[in-house]
Amino acid sequence: MPLALDPAIIGREFDRTVEGPVTADELVAFARALGETRPEYTEAGPALVAHPTYCVRFRGGRFYPEELLKLIDVRSGFDAGKDIQLGAPVRPGDTIEVRSTVHEVYEKTGRTGSMVFVVIRYTLSNQRGEMLAIVDNRFMHR
Amino acid sequence: MILDLHLHSELSDDSRAPVEAYLKVLQRKRAERPLDGIVLTEHRQFDPARDYRALEDRYGFLILNAAEVETDYGHVLVYGVNPDILARFDFSDVRLSAQALVTDVARLGGIALPCHPGRATVGLCDHYARKPPLEGVVAVEALNGGSKKGEDARVEELVQRFGYKAYGGSDSHLVSFVGVCATEFDAPIRSMDDLVAQLRDGRYRPVDFRAR
Amino acid sequence: MPERLRFDDVEEGDELSARSFFLSKDQVRAYARAGGQWSPRFTDDEGARREGLPGMITPGNMSMGLLASFLEAWAGPGTLRRLGTTFRGLVLPDRTIRLCAAVTQKEDASRSVELDVWLESEEAERLVIGTATVALA
Repeated sequence: MPLALDPAIIGREFDRTVEGPVTADELVAFARALGETRPEYTEAGPALVAHPTYCVRFRGGRFYPEELLKLIDVRSGFDAGKDIQLGAPVRPGDTIEVRSTVHEVYEKTGRTGSMVFVVIRYTLSNQRGEMLAIVDNRFMHR
Repeated sequence: MILDLHLHSELSDDSRAPVEAYLKVLQRKRAERPLDGIVLTEHRQFDPARDYRALEDRYGFLILNAAEVETDYGHVLVYGVNPDILARFDFSDVRLSAQALVTDVARLGGIALPCHPGRATVGLCDHYARKPPLEGVVAVEALNGGSKKGEDARVEELVQRFGYKAYGGSDSHLVSFVGVCATEFDAPIRSMDDLVAQLRDGRYRPVDFRAR
Repeated sequence: MPERLRFDDVEEGDELSARSFFLSKDQVRAYARAGGQWSPRFTDDEGARREGLPGMITPGNMSMGLLASFLEAWAGPGTLRRLGTTFRGLVLPDRTIRLCAAVTQKEDASRSVELDVWLESEEAERLVIGTATVALA
């Protein structure tokens, strides 16, 4: 485990935040910014749902747990990639509970030098308890 | 005999390629990329228990296991990993001594070859610009399927200056790019022992299937 | 009901027709605003350079979104079940980018397919790579 971290940090929930309610305008603006024209994503109405990657904009109330914030300058970070598993679609009016855990921390070297990778898992669900998405977000710090 | 000497399966942290899916691509693309097998070089790890014989039998390709490790002279591929090599080196360490790796892996029956030498920071070219050259390097990866424009061109000067042999690999992290670069051997290879012997003393050259 | 591509009409090895388009800075800024990522690195060249970048860059989230739209344009809306990506290089706006994908596996039980996906520059450098699972009809 790099950074002299306690392995117990892995898998432990460090934040739970409720966001929203999501509005139709927000969903439409997001989809249109991606160049979408499909009515399912861009026309307000009962059939409107969020673009499938809308879930990646939710990152809870805290970027990292306290133990990591003491060791890493978050401003030095870059998004290294993410994996999303999709569940129920997000709809206008939904509130979104975001639960955050540290999924993995590891070190490697690349073109830009030595890097520490922190993977945060966000589990998103709506007000009905339906799973909306699980997002594993890899942040890279030099 | 043509082998892709450098690729990653889903066991590597940044790859998403199941081994079987690699073989299916090689089957479909046999005319464009006429490979006989692959060597899996997972990042910073080696599992001696991994056994791909069932897949070899089903698809008719040779599948060998190696590793890509990280050193003070950039990334290095280690072939012929055995219990002695695993006891000597912690593959998860991102700051291994490249000289110790090259020397001791050879002494313990394997061979350690620098990969993507033209790549910034993790390639030999950058390190040779400011540090003494390594002793005992036999070959370097002159063709890497993941190289950016110009990176492979830097290797030519390295090869000429130090008399290194040259090999090729796809460095694939996606199924679709298996075998785009590979190594052609004059002698047949049926095992990792054969591969180590050929890399050390045999005749081989990088081959580029990207244009096809 | 919008059309969904049929599982039986897809073969392992099928390559999607690549989509090339000019990604403008204005579009990146619109995404940054809508995606809650309004920060100098995604909106302002000078601000990005102060962070050590060559100029403003495209958010990785946006690259993912573009790939997702590309896949659903092929398979149908609501078909994407999973998308995993690695951001390997900076995607600089005001340039032409190309979205590509290929079917790598078919899963009969779930009538879903696995695909390789990638975003490349005009020089064919793969800046974003990944895989996706799409559920077909």
